[in-house]
Amino acid sequence: MFRHIAIAHDGSEGGLRALALACDLAKLHHATLHMISVEEIPDIPASIDEVIEIKSQQNHKFHDALSGARAIAKEKGVKLNAEVVAGHPVAAVVAFVKSKKADLLVVGFMGHSALFERIIGSTADRLVRLAPCPVLVAK
Amino acid sequence: MMDNIWLASAVWIGLALFSSLISIRLALSVALIEIVVGALGGNLIGLPLTPWVNYLAGFGAILLTFLAGAEVDMDVVRRNFGASIGIGFISFLLPYLGCMLAARYVLAWPWSQAQIAGISLSTTSVAVVYAVMVETGLNKTELGKIILAACFVTDLGTVLALGIVFASFTMWLLAFAASTIVVVALLPRFAPPFFALVGQRVSEPQIKFLLLILFALGGFATAVGSEAVLPAYLIGMALAPAFRHDPELPHRMRVIAFAILTPFYFLKAGSLVDAKTLVSGVLLIALFLGMKMATKFIGILPLTRYFRFQNREGMYTTLLMSTGLTFGSISALYGLTNHIIDQTQYTILLTSVIASAVVPTVIAQKWFLPKVGLAKQEV
Repeated sequence: MFRHIAIAHDGSEGGLRALALACDLAKLHHATLHMISVEEIPDIPASIDEVIEIKSQQNHKFHDALSGARAIAKEKGVKLNAEVVAGHPVAAVVAFVKSKKADLLVVGFMGHSALFERIIGSTADRLVRLAPCPVLVAK
Repeated sequence: MMDNIWLASAVWIGLALFSSLISIRLALSVALIEIVVGALGGNLIGLPLTPWVNYLAGFGAILLTFLAGAEVDMDVVRRNFGASIGIGFISFLLPYLGCMLAARYVLAWPWSQAQIAGISLSTTSVAVVYAVMVETGLNKTELGKIILAACFVTDLGTVLALGIVFASFTMWLLAFAASTIVVVALLPRFAPPFFALVGQRVSEPQIKFLLLILFALGGFATAVGSEAVLPAYLIGMALAPAFRHDPELPHRMRVIAFAILTPFYFLKAGSLVDAKTLVSGVLLIALFLGMKMATKFIGILPLTRYFRFQNREGMYTTLLMSTGLTFGSISALYGLTNHIIDQTQYTILLTSVIASAVVPTVIAQKWFLPKVGLAKQEV
């Protein structure tokens, strides 16, 4: 039923649960699995160094998350196409889903806590509303 | 309680810690949160500005400016000289003139106060521009490098204006200018061997050496009616190539600055905001924000056409160059500290500066993102 499955992994426990579920689904449906991780750069920084420092921390975090994700996918016998982008998590994931023409998006329940999300809701809430395909939230 | 220096310190550092935690939680700049927390603290509990607070805040502003100067990539400026100087200079000049004239002739502010308005709103936030570019990957393209180089030029214009406009034109000013030129010319040659000679030690002789120069020239600048941030930015620029080879030293200075000094500066900047003026002055804030953005558009958009940017890229560049934060707040606080503007005018200018960091960024991101998409990051 699903040909292209997108998984949004933020490096959290929830993201890992979503990844495991997405791997199982991809195997079951013989679907291609695309993973996106979004580095959140602070809005309105006071110095370039602040951006570089946070970018470096995020690189480190997602380097580990990416390695872990590849290991899980390998263990489950699924090919994983992974990429990391910087930007707003919701906007970036929605754009990614559209670009990959994914017919299912899998996300973890735990997420970021940016100002946008404080006001509007969690990343998962926003993705359920804005993604152009069915969204599976793993708990 | 505030008479007890240690309890007062605990209050200030407590607010700084609170701001850091909020900024981590909201993924927003700590500087912005410190200004907001400072404004809340100043209006709700009152934050007395003792001489030691003013000293630490001033020290923070000098280090902040020095580190901003040290971020200038002179190679990028040289490689894109025509476009970066042209766009950067116009990006400074038109908002400076536009906001100054609006303050003078629309609001009938005296010239000196109108000058502060012009300088505060002439800035471009290099950091905001850079953050957006990292997200889009534009920082690796020629377009991105031109925009960034132009931002450095705009900031230089702001710092020069702040340092020169209110200076007393005497022989001492010439002596100060000559001393600064000599130090800026010699420092790139003599500082790196000195740094190598003394090495990195716990006693930090490298940092002490730089602070000695910053304080000495800053003191000279203040004595002639100029501003200590002017030599700080120029010294930072002069040492930028050396810091590019050895980023460890500016990193250690950044840790000192952002942990201990700049929180005092941003909290103080916020604490001086008058909450009542925020409501009554909303139209004036809108006027200054509108004037800044309009003049940036008039100046930069035609230049982007001249330099053959695509329509969307031109709008994006113009909007990004309409942002401002650090130098705008430094200029407004300079005006208040030196009794050039009053607290009402300061509140209007600082709020306009903060609005200029947010509004153009949101518009640029929402409607004019160049069609490069989000760049894949190498992790």
